[in-house]
Amino acid sequence: MNRSSFLTRAAGFALILLGPRAATAQVPVLEISGANFRPMPLAVAAPQVADDHARSKSAELDAALMFDLSASGIFQVLDRKSFLARAGEGLTASAINFARWADIGADGLVKTQLASEGQKIRAELHFFSVGTGKEEFKLTDSAADTDIRRLAHSLADALYRSLTREPGPFQSHLAFVRRSGQGKEVWVSDWDGKNGQLIAGGNLNVLPALMPNGSGVAFTTYRTGKPMIFAQRFGGPAVPLVKSDHMATGIAFSPDGKRIAYSLALGESTQIWVAQGDGSGAKQLTDTPYFINTSPSWSPDGKRIAFVSNQGGSPQIYVMNADGTGIRRLTFQGNYNQTPDWSPRGDLIAFTARDERRAFDLFTANVESGKITRLTQDQGDNEEPTFSPNGRLLIFASNRTGTSRLFVMNSDGTNQLPLPMDSGTYHTPDWGR
Amino acid sequence: MAFADAQTQGALAHSLLIGTRLPVGRYLVASLVGHAAFFAAIGVSSYFHLGPRIDMNQQPIKASLVRLGKPRDPKLLPRIPDAPAEAEAKAPAPQPPKPEEPKSIPMPDAKARPPGSADRRRELLSAFNRTPKASGSRTAAAIEELEGHPEGDPHGDSATQEGERYFGLLKAQIQQHYDVSQTIPEQERLHLKAQVLVQIGRTGEVLRVQLASSSGNQLFDNSVLAAVKKASPFSPPPEHLRESLGRRGIALEFRP
Repeated sequence: MNRSSFLTRAAGFALILLGPRAATAQVPVLEISGANFRPMPLAVAAPQVADDHARSKSAELDAALMFDLSASGIFQVLDRKSFLARAGEGLTASAINFARWADIGADGLVKTQLASEGQKIRAELHFFSVGTGKEEFKLTDSAADTDIRRLAHSLADALYRSLTREPGPFQSHLAFVRRSGQGKEVWVSDWDGKNGQLIAGGNLNVLPALMPNGSGVAFTTYRTGKPMIFAQRFGGPAVPLVKSDHMATGIAFSPDGKRIAYSLALGESTQIWVAQGDGSGAKQLTDTPYFINTSPSWSPDGKRIAFVSNQGGSPQIYVMNADGTGIRRLTFQGNYNQTPDWSPRGDLIAFTARDERRAFDLFTANVESGKITRLTQDQGDNEEPTFSPNGRLLIFASNRTGTSRLFVMNSDGTNQLPLPMDSGTYHTPDWGR
Repeated sequence: MAFADAQTQGALAHSLLIGTRLPVGRYLVASLVGHAAFFAAIGVSSYFHLGPRIDMNQQPIKASLVRLGKPRDPKLLPRIPDAPAEAEAKAPAPQPPKPEEPKSIPMPDAKARPPGSADRRRELLSAFNRTPKASGSRTAAAIEELEGHPEGDPHGDSATQEGERYFGLLKAQIQQHYDVSQTIPEQERLHLKAQVLVQIGRTGEVLRVQLASSSGNQLFDNSVLAAVKKASPFSPPPEHLRESLGRRGIALEFRP
């Protein structure tokens, strides 16, 4: 046995004996949390087309898909001008030069291909992980060539779901008010404000609320001189929903669509009422003479209602049970808080507040802790937040560019983007759930 | 006969089969002492030279730095704080001893940057980031008041001070680069936990970095390793931690 091998063995034996002592030699463990969740840098290659018909539709699909992915909050969509890959690079992992995509900082790569099948367009979306150089999954879908934006939204939703295992918000609808001369019109559109349809025009129509099953919209209208709540199923006429001699405003549907909440002005005060979805069985919830209670918003389980009340001296956000019991003040900061919208995830209530600089901005309040988080700042006035169906995004109205327009952002206030709508003045968005 | 006897005696005397009285006790003691000394020497050397071990059940240290600034009126709505770069430029905090700069041979084309040029550049860049505000209530030069403590640290990110200051500094430096992909599903984020072992040299340089326990998610593991690499070099460790951080290191337990 030579000397060195003896020493090795002896050391090994010593290690066995010393194991327990060495294991207790204290290495301090420092806890690090609070990761900055960053959107994945994503390259979306221009769509490849198989024929001329598909080519004529590709720009529209591309624009809708790019906006969905940019607004999704989970991607940082890279500028195509930076792309280094060959223009006609193939759609299979073996044909792709992943080093070129890695060079521009992409972690993910999306490639799409369009082909026409009669009057339909068929789309294929391939998602590649640039780091591993592998195709992670492929999505296929088709739609009538008149519905090309819906095809893009469907693909974006499928991509969102494949990665996050959560439903995407891009096939939902948006209701909003558009100013027209002296009047205000209620419109319903795709989530991004495109494909808009006029629902109610001609006079003052405000505060739209989409029905939870997507079958119609209700709104407050001044068509008879005093405010009333009307409902209109898509394709049908507008009919009064709340039958009352008092002034009724600001309807909100419960998440299952079976109940409605609204406010009624009774003499000097305004109170919150609830009723069945058809307007029957109305019942008063709040009872604070001389004070105003308004803007109800349901919790996702339908058991609670958030609302605005000035019973504490200034307008603040309150929460109560859906039967009117257990009224609790939620906000204690600021002196002008209004337009609450309860997140479909249940944890947050977004609202508009006027700060000490007299600017209107958006905030969220944690329902349990009451913690207030600021979302917008120093960008004009920002009002009337409405959560996406998955609770990850908010659409709101902002006058930062001059007139009031609709914007989308993440629910933490990052990634604020204007919706790609025609020019006009837009207010009070309501994102359908 | 006598010869034969003598021969037998001689053979017996040399035979190993027949026990003889030897001074065994002395050798045994010497051997025991020798072994004990040998193992003790290995034990001592292992304490100084062997790699560190992590006790997974050990209570993690919590450390945070209090932010520099004035407390905000609790009745007011919160403001979004601006980048701490401005606070840094405003009041330099007591820094741990600066690492010795390696003496460089002056090169004819190596332009010496004026001291503080990095801060100046950051200041200019941050002025670019501040877009003209529609409300017009702030000028680009207005400096945001941050919530904090009058004796806080410009790197501070917490309202209260806790634990060893250097660990708080390490944590703050790593957290700046702790970026994780938003595409990781939320239900998975709850369970993610990775440990990284880092040995830090006298000047704050990283001597060794190693994934001690994986989270099971490749994307997350890569993110935490990248965070440590991007955050390095760290501030030079204070005197009393220099030895242990260099030899045994510190385990960083990452959770989202």
